[in-house]
Amino acid sequence: MAGHESSGIFFFPSPPAGLSFLRAGSSSRTFAAGEKALCLQCDAVLAKHSLLGPDATLALTLSGLILAPPALLLPFITAGKLGRVHSGWLFSGVTALWDEGMPILGVWVLACSLLAPLLLLGTLAGLLLPPRFSRTYSPRPKLTRAAHALEHWAMPEVQVLAVLVALIKLSTLVEVHIGPGFWCYAAMSFVTLLAWRTHALGIVVPNPVIAPTDRTVRP
Amino acid sequence: MNLSDRRRAHLSRSAALTLSAAFMLVPANLLPVLSTQISGQLRTDTIFSGIVALCNQGLWPLGAIVFAASILIPLLKIAGLIVLLVAARHGPAEHPQPLTRLYATLDLIGRWSMLDVFLVAFLAGAVQFGAFATVEPRAGIVAFAAAVVLTMLATRAFNPRLLWIETAPAASSPSPSSR
Repeated sequence: MAGHESSGIFFFPSPPAGLSFLRAGSSSRTFAAGEKALCLQCDAVLAKHSLLGPDATLALTLSGLILAPPALLLPFITAGKLGRVHSGWLFSGVTALWDEGMPILGVWVLACSLLAPLLLLGTLAGLLLPPRFSRTYSPRPKLTRAAHALEHWAMPEVQVLAVLVALIKLSTLVEVHIGPGFWCYAAMSFVTLLAWRTHALGIVVPNPVIAPTDRTVRP
Repeated sequence: MNLSDRRRAHLSRSAALTLSAAFMLVPANLLPVLSTQISGQLRTDTIFSGIVALCNQGLWPLGAIVFAASILIPLLKIAGLIVLLVAARHGPAEHPQPLTRLYATLDLIGRWSMLDVFLVAFLAGAVQFGAFATVEPRAGIVAFAAAVVLTMLATRAFNPRLLWIETAPAASSPSPSSR
């Protein structure tokens, strides 16, 4: 697939006021790998090329999806005291909240720690898989917007820190061991973060048409 | 980030959400967030007493993490949102660049407040040893989770473009400039 390493085109809905790096009338521009378009006023990233190329992001995304079932099914921790052994899963916190009459909070915890990251990975796969296997270009603005919305509520890294804090607190009380589920979840959280960070922002064309360059775009 | 939306209504929506979040923080900090029963001894903890207990156990690094996530970040977020809302009240702000950085920072740190919610949920799920030890969530954690979600929605509702542009249609035309 040509153009992965070289560049992609980023489309803007219309040249927005205040974004002076876009020449009036132009709505697309090619980017080299790792290049970013920043807002001249506030330094916000407006568009960037995939840092490692879309294939790397796709690989990270699929790794995350593969790690999800073991993260869900294997125990996070096993705690034992006086011969009684109890395992904690990702789900057990959710069911505990549900049983205590806090079903909405339980669903919310599940949404932030599992559903949103999984849907984000699914959305990234949906964005990256079609251009990987076909040369026809079809922008997916709705899917891209969905990915941005999901990323805001996907916080597996916060859950990882919470489990670590819980683990240390519990170790003063009972004997605890980290289970394989936690490692899978932590790895899933890490690849999700990497996949999102290396993913291109804006819409990338697999076979880019070279547009005139504009030197005010900062690398 | 939305590039073209200039609706003024976003400011009042964000202000309403910020106010609700500030109100929600009162029960979140006064009500107990979890109760622990160890060998028949019952103890209920608020967010603050939980942090004190962690420090008393000698786990002060954990206490510091929970303090930052559960007390410092929510207060900083609400204070920061108030600064942004006041600055954007009458059109463009005088110093939009640092304020926009403040906005980006608030957006970045907000999610870490969920730490305490995840912590209570996980402890309640993992510590079920019958008569020896059980942990149960209490109503305060619902109020706290609501406060966190409301601050995140308030940040989302605030449009940083309001710090830069006139809300009247006579916006500045793009002129090429380099920095």
